[in-house]
Amino acid sequence: MTFPSDPKAPPGDLEDEPLIRLEGIHKWFGDLHVLRGIDLTLAQRDVQVVIGPSGSGKSTLLRCVNLLERPTLGKVWFEGQDLTDIRTDLNEARNHIGIVFQAFNLFPHLTVMRNVTIALEKVLKVSGNDATERAWEQLVRVGLGTKAEAYPGQLSGGQQQRVAIARALAMRPRLMLFDEVTSALDPELVGEVLEVMIRLAGDGMTMMVVTHEMGFAREVGTRMLFIDEGRVVEQGEPREMYRAPQSPRLREFLGKVL
Amino acid sequence: MAAVEVAVRDEERAPDVRGPTAPLPATTLGLGIASIVAILGGTLALQLNTVLTGAELTPACVELGFDEVTGGTGVCGIVETLGSDAQTFLAILAIVTGTVAMVLGFGWFRRMDSIRKREQCITGGVIGIQGVALSLLLLWFREGRPDLIAKNFLNWGVLEGYGYQFLRAARNTLILAIGGELGGIVIGLVLAVLVISKRRAVRSPARVYINFFRGTPLIWQLGAGGLLLTFGFNASISPFAVAILIFSLNTGAYAAEVFRAGIQSIERGQVEAARSLGMTYGQSLRYAIVPQAVRRVIPPLMNEFVILIKDTALVVVVGLLVEQYDLFTLARSGQATTFNATFFTAAALGYLVITLPLIWLVNRVERRLRSGLVGFVGAQ
Repeated sequence: MTFPSDPKAPPGDLEDEPLIRLEGIHKWFGDLHVLRGIDLTLAQRDVQVVIGPSGSGKSTLLRCVNLLERPTLGKVWFEGQDLTDIRTDLNEARNHIGIVFQAFNLFPHLTVMRNVTIALEKVLKVSGNDATERAWEQLVRVGLGTKAEAYPGQLSGGQQQRVAIARALAMRPRLMLFDEVTSALDPELVGEVLEVMIRLAGDGMTMMVVTHEMGFAREVGTRMLFIDEGRVVEQGEPREMYRAPQSPRLREFLGKVL
Repeated sequence: MAAVEVAVRDEERAPDVRGPTAPLPATTLGLGIASIVAILGGTLALQLNTVLTGAELTPACVELGFDEVTGGTGVCGIVETLGSDAQTFLAILAIVTGTVAMVLGFGWFRRMDSIRKREQCITGGVIGIQGVALSLLLLWFREGRPDLIAKNFLNWGVLEGYGYQFLRAARNTLILAIGGELGGIVIGLVLAVLVISKRRAVRSPARVYINFFRGTPLIWQLGAGGLLLTFGFNASISPFAVAILIFSLNTGAYAAEVFRAGIQSIERGQVEAARSLGMTYGQSLRYAIVPQAVRRVIPPLMNEFVILIKDTALVVVVGLLVEQYDLFTLARSGQATTFNATFFTAAALGYLVITLPLIWLVNRVERRLRSGLVGFVGAQ
């Protein structure tokens, strides 16, 4: 194990450095060993899909990427910076990593517009007018230009989730994390959210997506990870994994969900 | 049975489906109302009549020594009216009508064939119980020594000339309570932020402060606080200011718990969303959590305020100057001068004038909060 004196100067060539690299991630919640040594590398424009049975640790893995959960062991490298080094300014790093949650987590006391602009103004110190302009751009992008003055409570689940995506995109992140973003939605509202994500992938955004939407995983994912009981069971190209699953666990899982 | 006509109309309001009434339930309701009106309205009217026509000292009152008491004539009027035949008649009337309403209402409500009839039976019976109970209570009370009660608690004559002082005392009570509440909110907010810290070193001092002020009697804090400030810190501040300070420190401890609960009631996802957008811990508290928590803590804070208004009475242990007297201290001073407790009755009425509108307001706010519309739209 190496201990670089400066977290921003990792060993190796910066040009070859992937966008994100997870090294031997372990996570315990008390005595519960949720992640048992996971390695993962994401290059630019990758759409990394993570699937697995419930309780397998896939959400925890995603939340380890932006250190919402601090890995008990292991390292998270983002653009060559070690996020797990306690000297790293996590607030700065999180500006570049957007995340969208299953429960939307919009701020209910703020309008849609204010939900998007507040971090621009308070974190990125963007001026009011510029922030509004950037927010508009993203709200129009997710098809909610007309809802800017509404409150989250007045929107459908699908609309709220699109606002949450716009809120994350307005920060101009270099990586987007999606944590089962369609699981809390009524079936007829899933499509509008997936559509936004598909367009985003088409625009070249690097994405890590924990999902139960098997169709989306196959069509949009460039790489897929199947984890179970905190370990990577199988990984590869999604279509290939669907067509010819190597492990019995994946075969069993696909049999249940497809 | 006549068919209940329910005209189905295309209107905003739902139709009234309570159905028609009938003589029996209507009579039951009428008797119940008659009972309560006789004992409450009747008694009040009799007393008012005595006041308006002017009471006089009867031989019986002279025998009780009322001729030598300030305001004795008024007290005599109250006692004599209470013992009058008219009062006896009203009480018996209320008992009879109330009993009939009870019997009819509770005997027949199950057999009623419309909602309106049933409700009238039940309501009539319930009000009848209240009329009968109040009447029996009054007759019982009359058998004791109502003259002593009236002389000591309802002798309005002794209050003469105290009007201005009572107004000033009410103002002082409000200053104490509002000052203490405002100070307490500021202290409480700071304490709440400290006490939710993940670091024990930050948390512990705040916890010690809160437990100390919640765990010792306010009356002791007032007494000891004054001495500590005067002799311990050599601070020469007025006892009134000391009182406001102690009320602030005490309220701060309770407000801290209210704020803490409010902050902790906000879903975890809110902090996570804020932190994921790059906000610091302080920023996520300030822009995401506290604005939501503040709305939730308004009703409990208002309840604390009502409690504080009444607790200001404890300043009686602080040596206030005469012009600083609050309602309770004034009442005690008046009672000490005149040996009459009517001052306390007046003080209690003063507290009610202040607290009742507040209690009404808290209930209203709580109802709105439960219906989900407070400040922002559609929040759960």
